[in-house]
Amino acid sequence: MKIERQIEQIINTYSPAISSGDETLESILAMYPQLANELRPRLEAVIFLQQVRLSVATRPGFIHDSRKYLEAQIKSMPPLGYWRNLLRRSSPQRLVFNILAPVIVLLLLALVINNTVLTARLSIPGDPLFSTKLVIEDVQLALTFNQVDKTDLQIQQSRERTLEFIELVMEGDYQYLPNAAARMETEIDASLHALNNVSKNEPASQIAMVTELRDILSNELFMLDVLKSTSPTTAQPGINLAIQVAQSGILALR
Amino acid sequence: MPGKLDNDHELIKKAQRGDVTAFGDLYESHAPAIFRYLFSHLDNQMDAEDLTGEVFLKAWRSLPKYTERGVPFLAFLFKVARNILVDHYRKNNNLETKDPEEMDGYSAEVISEPIELVGNQIEHQKILRVLHRLRTDYQSVLTLRFISELSPEETAQVMNRSVGAIRVLQHRALAVLRKELDDIGQHED
Repeated sequence: MKIERQIEQIINTYSPAISSGDETLESILAMYPQLANELRPRLEAVIFLQQVRLSVATRPGFIHDSRKYLEAQIKSMPPLGYWRNLLRRSSPQRLVFNILAPVIVLLLLALVINNTVLTARLSIPGDPLFSTKLVIEDVQLALTFNQVDKTDLQIQQSRERTLEFIELVMEGDYQYLPNAAARMETEIDASLHALNNVSKNEPASQIAMVTELRDILSNELFMLDVLKSTSPTTAQPGINLAIQVAQSGILALR
Repeated sequence: MPGKLDNDHELIKKAQRGDVTAFGDLYESHAPAIFRYLFSHLDNQMDAEDLTGEVFLKAWRSLPKYTERGVPFLAFLFKVARNILVDHYRKNNNLETKDPEEMDGYSAEVISEPIELVGNQIEHQKILRVLHRLRTDYQSVLTLRFISELSPEETAQVMNRSVGAIRVLQHRALAVLRKELDDIGQHED
């Protein structure tokens, strides 16, 4: 056993006895003569500290009086964990709160999602929510399994791209025109492919949808011709590209 | 002190539910040790009494967040006391002991004889002078172990050290204290 441990045990064992006068320093040292040199100074220090402990004791009545004062101070403070206790308490109001809280949260969530979708639908290239709009369109397309409905959706999306292009020109956001024209081309190609797939099973629907797409592209061409004459030269390459895309689409429809 | 710990556990639970009397019981059980710890670092009994109250008020405010995981309540109280003591030192910027002549009198209602009051103050100043000559960690281990009567385990938790480290620290601190007592004795002779 280490000497520190032995001495600590002796100190722990005999401290109360020294304090009460049952043992003396010399009587303890006589029990441990082999440790006397190490033990003596430490026991003397312990005796000094015992005297210190007595001299720093609380004055009579202090604990009792100060307890009353402390309790009064605490009682004058706001209750401990007031809000937590209130939320834990079971009451009719709490029951209503428990039911209403998730409903309100769900309603708010639905409101936020609805607003986001609506804002995204109105966005054009360059807007922060435009990528959300494209994702929503992809999801819509993926969830539409009927070929006729799918083709119709594709045509609507082609219309969206043409309208976005015109809006970009009208708002003067010319830097987005080349990308918008490319996106328009991709969408029109996809619509043409979808129309080919419809033709075998639903000839009547096909004719109606071809007419619709042709109208969309013709209107686009007309609008682009008008805008071209009033737009600055920086917008011309983008507009020309879109005109070529629309003309190719009309040719393909024939 | 296992029985005391179990009792503390019940009282803490009650106090956390807002039972002021249970907290009062905790105060009555631990305030003497906290007071002794504070008074052995301060030269003024009134400051020690004020700070004892402050320790328990702070502990009351921290009770909702207090969990007994690993740290017994007494060790938690001593940590609060040590922080409050540091704040007190910082505020008063006064680490040195004062001469007995500079000290203000205290508690005439309890200690009626002025000669006894002055005698006690001089004695307390001597004690502080000896303790302040020790290294801070020696002061802490000795006051916690022998003046506040904490177990080695509780002392280890308050001082963030292992029980073995506390044992070694105590062993050295007692030897140094004895030497300081000799030095002061010779100096005064």
